[in-house]
Amino acid sequence: MDGPHTSGPSTGAAFQPLVDALLVGDHKLLAAVAQRLIEQGCSREQVVTDGLEHAMGLLDDKCTVESFNLLEIMLVGRAVSSVVRVLYPDGYAPTQGRATFVIATLEGDVHDLGKNIVRMVLAGKGFRVVDLGRDCPVDDLVGAAQREGAVAVLVSGLISPVVSQVRKLRPALRACGLAHVPVVAGGAALKQLRPEALDVDYVAENAFDGAHYLERHVSGAPAA
Amino acid sequence: MDRTPLVPQLFGHAAVSAGLSLRDYLHDGEALAHAQICARERYRTDAVFAFLDFGVEAEALGAPLSFRDDRYPDVVGSVLGADDDPARLRLPEPASAGRMPVCLRALRTMRGRLGDSALVAGAVAGPMTACAQLYGIENALYLAIDDPPRLAAALDFSTRLAIRYGLAQLDAGAHAVIVFDPAASPAVVPPGFFREFLAPRLERVLAALRDGGAAFTWLNIAGPTAGILDCYARIGADVATFDYYLSAAEACRLLPRTCLAGNLKSLDFLDAAPDRIERQARALVAAFEGRGGFLLSSGCEIPPEAAAGNIAAMAAALSGD
Repeated sequence: MDGPHTSGPSTGAAFQPLVDALLVGDHKLLAAVAQRLIEQGCSREQVVTDGLEHAMGLLDDKCTVESFNLLEIMLVGRAVSSVVRVLYPDGYAPTQGRATFVIATLEGDVHDLGKNIVRMVLAGKGFRVVDLGRDCPVDDLVGAAQREGAVAVLVSGLISPVVSQVRKLRPALRACGLAHVPVVAGGAALKQLRPEALDVDYVAENAFDGAHYLERHVSGAPAA
Repeated sequence: MDRTPLVPQLFGHAAVSAGLSLRDYLHDGEALAHAQICARERYRTDAVFAFLDFGVEAEALGAPLSFRDDRYPDVVGSVLGADDDPARLRLPEPASAGRMPVCLRALRTMRGRLGDSALVAGAVAGPMTACAQLYGIENALYLAIDDPPRLAAALDFSTRLAIRYGLAQLDAGAHAVIVFDPAASPAVVPPGFFREFLAPRLERVLAALRDGGAAFTWLNIAGPTAGILDCYARIGADVATFDYYLSAAEACRLLPRTCLAGNLKSLDFLDAAPDRIERQARALVAAFEGRGGFLLSSGCEIPPEAAAGNIAAMAAALSGD
């Protein structure tokens, strides 16, 4: 992330338009608000922590298992992406972001909407996410985890054939000396199975549930 | 019938069970029919399905699909770009468009061989799912906010598409045509969106199928449907699938006079656990004792690669029922 905060507006009120625009998913307005804040002297870090992360926290509280739906989250995700593009046109560098995760939809599954949402939610929370795309071989994901210094590996799966691929992840990580890197799974198919059935550390009910687990992991708090 | 009907959602598993690749199964109506009938005999079920995959409608309109031997095809190019107007589309002719004839051929064969001894079910994609096929799911969802009139036009086209394809299936011998609309699930769109944009169009599809001779109507939406299930009866669903997110008691409360089908967890069929499946199936049957109006099934498709022993265990749960 950026260095120390600069001298721009720092009160919560200054960021309220950004929070409001994010909560209604207005990506064009949000990008304009973010640009204005930068021009007024806010640091990129302030926009992320006082704006995006605050708004994502409010959204998180609203999104229960019963009320989570792709449409609303996608709108927010698109809005987050528009801000990240304003702040970091080339994406987060390895030295930026609270921590780095690698994410993919594994080989055999080309449905990447869930993965994209997780990526956007985590970006909104200030994390750097390296996206390996869809139909991704296990070895490519493990290689990226090693190369990027990832603190967790995330996989999303919509269809059942991907289950066998997920089960290959842990042994592949172990073989590369990454046994300590947790694996988090989610998506319509994978969330029907228990972590031990998939040989992963956590199965997330939705993007926010997964983010909670990762927040705890990054902060060193015990798993819930 | 002297027991609870056994109607598991066995589609691609029939191919695996018959030693066919999914690619061949999805291209050959005779092979599909043969595999479905074999699966029915093997597991002693009460239905066969001419369900192919969720690429059929888009393919019939010109979308390219990628096929593999061991899984369902993927739509690899959208029929409509993000800025395209659905008015440029013309309804396909089911007798000749894409693989729609495969479905019709399978229905004719299955009905010819089974008569009325088992349910012969067809399948169409509901309006939201078909719309997602045409635009791609992300673009279709963004249209809801960026251009609601264009989304409405696309949904209207998808509604006419479902009706035309469904009526052709009834003409080919289907007793009923199941309307699958997974993209209408509250996991994808909020219940308010469902009520405003989707319920009226699903109502039109179900009414047209009934008028076209369907023995009954069946709406199948997977996922956490508690927020929308109560409007199924109003929009004309005689049978409603409910998924594992809802208990039998909750589904009965929301739809007291509708026949319910469900709700074993589909991924539970992957790893061998026949004792657990049988126990869960027996509990479900017991939950509907006295009420009736229940079809023992899974809440979503049983995966093609499911363990056969698990499906047999589901059937075993009905022995002595």
